[in-house]
Amino acid sequence: MPQTFETHDRTAEPEDIFHSDTDLLETIAAHHDVSDQVQAPKQLSPSHSSETGDTGSSMHGVSTKTTGKYDLPVDLEDKATVFKILSVAKPHMRTFHLSWISFSTCFVSTFAAAPLVPIIRENLNLTKQDIGNAGVASVSGSIFSRLVMGAVCDILGPRYGCAFLVMLSAPTVFSMSFVGGAAGFITVRFMIGFCLATFVSCQYWMSTMFTSNIIGLVNGTAAGWGNMGGGITQLLMPVVYEIIRRCGATAFTAWRIAFFVPGWLHIIMGILVLTLGQDLPGGNRKDMEIRGKVVKDKLGKIMWCAVTNYRTWIFVLLYGYSMGVELSTDNVIAEYFFDRFHLKLHTAGIIAASFGMANFFARPAGGYASDMAAKYFGMRGRLWALWIIQTAGGIFCVWLGRANTLVTAVVAMILFSLGAQAACGATFAIVPFISRRSLGIISGLTGAGGNFGSGLTQLIFFSTSRFTTEQGLTWMGVMIIACTLPVTLCRFPQWGSMFLPPSTVTAEQYYVSEWSEEEKQNNMHLGSLAFAKSAESEGGRRAHSTVIV
Amino acid sequence: MAIHKIFFASLLICLLFQISHGATKERLFSDLEKGALEVTATPSREGVLDAGIDKLSITWKLSSTATKEAEFTTIKVKLCYAPVSQVDRPWRKTENELFKDKSCPHKIITRPYDKSPQSFEYTLERDIPTGTYFVRAYAVDAKGHEVAFGQSTDEAKSTKLFSVQAISGRHKSLDIASVCFSVFSVLALLVFFVNEKRKAKIEQSK
Repeated sequence: MPQTFETHDRTAEPEDIFHSDTDLLETIAAHHDVSDQVQAPKQLSPSHSSETGDTGSSMHGVSTKTTGKYDLPVDLEDKATVFKILSVAKPHMRTFHLSWISFSTCFVSTFAAAPLVPIIRENLNLTKQDIGNAGVASVSGSIFSRLVMGAVCDILGPRYGCAFLVMLSAPTVFSMSFVGGAAGFITVRFMIGFCLATFVSCQYWMSTMFTSNIIGLVNGTAAGWGNMGGGITQLLMPVVYEIIRRCGATAFTAWRIAFFVPGWLHIIMGILVLTLGQDLPGGNRKDMEIRGKVVKDKLGKIMWCAVTNYRTWIFVLLYGYSMGVELSTDNVIAEYFFDRFHLKLHTAGIIAASFGMANFFARPAGGYASDMAAKYFGMRGRLWALWIIQTAGGIFCVWLGRANTLVTAVVAMILFSLGAQAACGATFAIVPFISRRSLGIISGLTGAGGNFGSGLTQLIFFSTSRFTTEQGLTWMGVMIIACTLPVTLCRFPQWGSMFLPPSTVTAEQYYVSEWSEEEKQNNMHLGSLAFAKSAESEGGRRAHSTVIV
Repeated sequence: MAIHKIFFASLLICLLFQISHGATKERLFSDLEKGALEVTATPSREGVLDAGIDKLSITWKLSSTATKEAEFTTIKVKLCYAPVSQVDRPWRKTENELFKDKSCPHKIITRPYDKSPQSFEYTLERDIPTGTYFVRAYAVDAKGHEVAFGQSTDEAKSTKLFSVQAISGRHKSLDIASVCFSVFSVLALLVFFVNEKRKAKIEQSK
């Protein structure tokens, strides 16, 4: 195997990814230093579409446009190499804002019922089981829809994927006005929950617009700000409800009218995405179909690689207990504060909102903490960072369940939110390294795992009369701590695990081992090779070997 | 570090507040004098009552067994859940500590205490949920603390209960608006999609 590698590296073929060691070092340096991006574009050739390690590898259009056309500096594929948060420059930053806002809108509508449950439960005569089941239903729909969305993005492009989902789920939000009992409530919450698949279109769309060296930060910010919708809704819905009530509607009608607000947001965002968005920096998907080659992999092979890698399942479980508990808490926390501490509906909403709003900085901070740990300790640092952050979140969750006064409960809740959300960011800082070939599917599986964890937790702890909500929170915290332990078992042979050092396997060997000999003959593995090189820094500060002989 | 000190100090102050608040929270339901008032609640018609429409005829008067009559300043009459409506609904739970008790959340009327028998014609509010109820009257002293009560049912809360059916909260106009917006959303999407496909075909044929 080193033989094949050497052939590629030493001979001066036009398809060479790296022409010299200098380029290699430059790229590694560029991986951690965004400001250098403009001077160190990668040497790409049009036929190798997956070299930059993008999830959207089938989306590559061959762009021959000059870089002077865009507001932001771009690489050879017209992907932005810089992340300017406050800009709305077309097309990169505009896409970023359209994407996270539509994802956030879906969070708003999925969790819109949660802060209004104290009113809804009286109108529909719900029992605790009904409320719990509705909560489970609200996160279950997207387990399936997130898996399908990846395929939809491949076929229709992320712009249509997002717009279709957002506009077709608007009727489900409006149908809350028809609900008359528990069955209807559960069904409608289930249907609304499908729109959480915009997570996939959001991340996919970002990867077509931003280069892979900053994609971690961009995706983390987009996901974090999108998740904020779960917090915004806890503020928005009680306020809208109050306003409608003051205008003269009775309680049992006011909450139904309040649901029109998220419904309108869906329609508005859908139209904005369709009119202002575009699939690729160069234009829309039809452009791509006319030009350029596409290296397409077989779905069956990708799935096999994903499913047989045990690390995939560890991270599915882990995300189920970081994102999963965040979603569960979004569903129960407002009602909890309302009932346990005798607060007014909008006060409970404000407190509950601060849980979801912490996502604004907590999730990117988790990703950043992981990057910092990797800088000194490599992948082992990332694993430790994840374990520490997620376990801390679990401890604070236990504290939240045991808090008897309002102040301690709020403090515990905020600390819990920071822990859980930073853990989400730290999880997706590691997921790209599990596999290069199956990155998309593993991301989708992990995302679905988050929802599954949420459904399971709500079913066990918050749907029965066996546990009070405070007991449920305590046990959820214990479960977080227990389900974070498997990260100790996660071992990357090239970088080690939490407790074990690396073996003699190299990064190249690890990533290229996903391809068969036949596939390697067809040069399908070159993307993995390039990725392995850029991932050398995950070896920590000691890692200085850049060339394999 | 300064931030940590400020945070810790404010936490300490808040905790002190909580401790000082604790003194008033020990009043128990079991300490109240039972049956001090004789309360009756008669529905305006047979069967399940409709919220917002049907009425309850409520009367209350001092019972012959009452001992704390001197302290009575105000009478608070409330609508309370019968045990069958509390099953699987922990937010309606009966608790002995008065400030925690949630079994009587709906206020009917509050009147200053009068020795003579009182009555009130109560129209069921439109935000009363579906359930089975009884009426309880608390006798409150000058400090605002409950001292005695009387209720329209027996101690086991099993007799003379009445059922209420809540309003649905649905309106035809709301349903129509909902359908209109839903249709608009789907149509707008289809129109955009078809339009763009058509434009793409035209461009390709050029």
